[in-house]
Amino acid sequence: MPINVTMPRLSDTMEQGTVVKWYVKVGDKVASGQVIADIETDKATMEQAVFDEGIIAKLVCPEGKQVKVGDVIAVLAEDGESVSDAASASSAAPAPRGAVSAAPASNAAAAPNAATASSTAPVATRTIVADVHATDVTDGDRMRVSPLARRMASEMGVELSQVQGSGPGGRVVKRDVLLAAENRSAAVPATRGAQIAANELVAATPSMMPAAAASAGALVHGGQSIEVPVSNMRGIIAKRLVESKQQIPHYQVTMKFSMDAVLALRGSLNEQLASMEVKLSVNDFIVRACALAMAKNPFFNASWAGDRILLHQQVNVGVAIALPEEKGGGLVVGVVKDANLKSLRQISGEIRSLGEKARTKGLSMDEMSGATFTISNLGMFGVDNFTAIINPPNSAILACGAALEQPVVRNHQLVVGFEMAATLSLDHRVIDGAMASKYLQSLKQFVEGPTMLLV
Amino acid sequence: MSAVREIEYRDALREAMSEEMRRDKRVFLLGEEVAEYNGAYKISRGMLEEFGARRVIDTPISESGFAGLAIGAAMMGLKPVVEFMSWSFSLVAADPILNNAPKMLYMSGGQFGCPVVFRGNDGAGGQLGSTHSWCVEGLFSNVPGIKIAIPSNPYDAKGLLKTAIRGSDPVFFLESERMLGNKGEVPEEEYLIPFGQAKVIRSGTDCTLASWGRPVHFCMEAAEEMQKLGISCEVIDLRTVRPLDIGTVVRSVKKTGACVVVDQSWSFGSPGSELASQVHRHCFDDLDNYVHRVHSADVPTPYATNLEQEYLPNARKIAEAVRSATYNL
Repeated sequence: MPINVTMPRLSDTMEQGTVVKWYVKVGDKVASGQVIADIETDKATMEQAVFDEGIIAKLVCPEGKQVKVGDVIAVLAEDGESVSDAASASSAAPAPRGAVSAAPASNAAAAPNAATASSTAPVATRTIVADVHATDVTDGDRMRVSPLARRMASEMGVELSQVQGSGPGGRVVKRDVLLAAENRSAAVPATRGAQIAANELVAATPSMMPAAAASAGALVHGGQSIEVPVSNMRGIIAKRLVESKQQIPHYQVTMKFSMDAVLALRGSLNEQLASMEVKLSVNDFIVRACALAMAKNPFFNASWAGDRILLHQQVNVGVAIALPEEKGGGLVVGVVKDANLKSLRQISGEIRSLGEKARTKGLSMDEMSGATFTISNLGMFGVDNFTAIINPPNSAILACGAALEQPVVRNHQLVVGFEMAATLSLDHRVIDGAMASKYLQSLKQFVEGPTMLLV
Repeated sequence: MSAVREIEYRDALREAMSEEMRRDKRVFLLGEEVAEYNGAYKISRGMLEEFGARRVIDTPISESGFAGLAIGAAMMGLKPVVEFMSWSFSLVAADPILNNAPKMLYMSGGQFGCPVVFRGNDGAGGQLGSTHSWCVEGLFSNVPGIKIAIPSNPYDAKGLLKTAIRGSDPVFFLESERMLGNKGEVPEEEYLIPFGQAKVIRSGTDCTLASWGRPVHFCMEAAEEMQKLGISCEVIDLRTVRPLDIGTVVRSVKKTGACVVVDQSWSFGSPGSELASQVHRHCFDDLDNYVHRVHSADVPTPYATNLEQEYLPNARKIAEAVRSATYNL
């Protein structure tokens, strides 16, 4: 029975791949685990191995041709099987095992789905072995980078997968990153002309512009621009958020919350706590409410990990903190660890000191790391509603608007009340719409019945 | 300002002890041959004459006895300076110096301090064989409660020894027979050098060399050689290993991205391994390579001259480590 080898999915974002090079030819005997080809994805070129033993009966996909994930790229003849039979039996179409003779080429197009959908029929189509973390891989091994080189590459925006390492075992070291950065800046003037031409084509749709810095200047025709150097922090924000938006399938769900009860409770608590110099903010209530809702909805305290989902055992709520412009602007995420186990007063105190420290001395790595969920609140700036980008490796972020006084319907009566809209951005790989709604309902119970936050 | 004078390492040690004995009546010196013979290495030359036999005391060959005596004296308010002819001989006094001195303040609940200075030659002196060539910092730096100074030059030796004598804790002061005749600038006027302050003795940009004691000189030689290859080394003399001035090393490594630790004790569980570990921790994202270490070979000290030379850290081995750490091999 011939075995079809298909184009593997080598990263979450991969749709198609190209066989750059075949290491085998028809008639070659291959062993399980043997590298048969180099495959180029949107991110990297990787060596590919086969699961099965056999003889190469046919190389379906020529070198240089791009095919979809799942398409057959080669056919293996099993032991004792004639190579020519296997090649012709498979034709260009993947087919379920046992169906080859009965199912001629006519229904071949539908076959791959049928094969994967059918659990009863043994499947001849095999997926090639691959590490899902494509960007971190060279030669089937983990990429070796010195810590300094890794940090410098991140700061200078050098793509490590493009850097040739000169250290022992191909380790990328400082000088390699410097050289790559130098080559890159040398290459820019040469290609600029071509980029301008390309930019003119897409000038009407600036959102389609590539992110490359070199091309951005060409957007403004005839006008002058002032260059603002990008700080490390700005560079990191840019990189991480682009990664987040590109890699995470975001969607948003909004719900409105009646804020009358929480504002009343906050007023009365603050009156009693004034002598102790404690002043609870609306955000403090939301942080605690989110943390308690997370404890009830474990997939909101989770990370997508490529081939599995990690449910975190500690509820750590990150709070986005804007930094003052005179300090260079930007934003950081301060983390309230174990937020579900802390009182409102503790949460309030921690957020206050994180904010002050972030704006003055700067936060330590420890204070910025470990968030399992993030809240961004622009309510204090009068914003009604907005959406936020997920802070990886979180699976969700809550964007809170202001608690606004407005006409609302309560008990069939039009009255004046406070309402707040909050929008969750979610990673659909981890959280589906119904789960998001359930979480918002938990959150609503806590926000609208805020005495629950006190116990 | 008087003209800068040059004196030998041994003279610097004597000046430190004599000045402190003049300043404080509680200070006294004891050890084998320190009095009548003017010291086995002539460090205490003339001290018997100046201070008399009650304060410069010849002891029997009994380290355990006179080390214990000194600890008792320190507990009762005196400030003894004990000369070990060699730190190799201190091993027979392990119980008093490791079990009593460093723990006294703790175990007596603060009732008894132990302001004693033990000093003497450390490391290979030149064909003294396996048993008399100990680098005791490898053993003793493991013990909390001890301060350990390992000066590389006369100026540091004097300033650190005066600080050691004035302090209120037990200090192990590690000298080297091979450096006693080294000359260096030592001013006439009094100065003290605090413990835990490393000194950058050569600045550079490509690799940090961190060491103490005699190998500091080999580091300087290696740095000079490396300069010819265009590799700029920063050399740091730690001066004391307990306390360890990690901050100075970290600041340097953050600048250079490469670090070679040179320690003439054995590598396994040594001040050098501790320093390397701390650099890895504090400079993780700044290192372009792992911290390289140059130690004595992991064997008993050989007797033959050529083997002994090859056993110890030397400029060639350090240069190789620098080239490896900076990917210039």
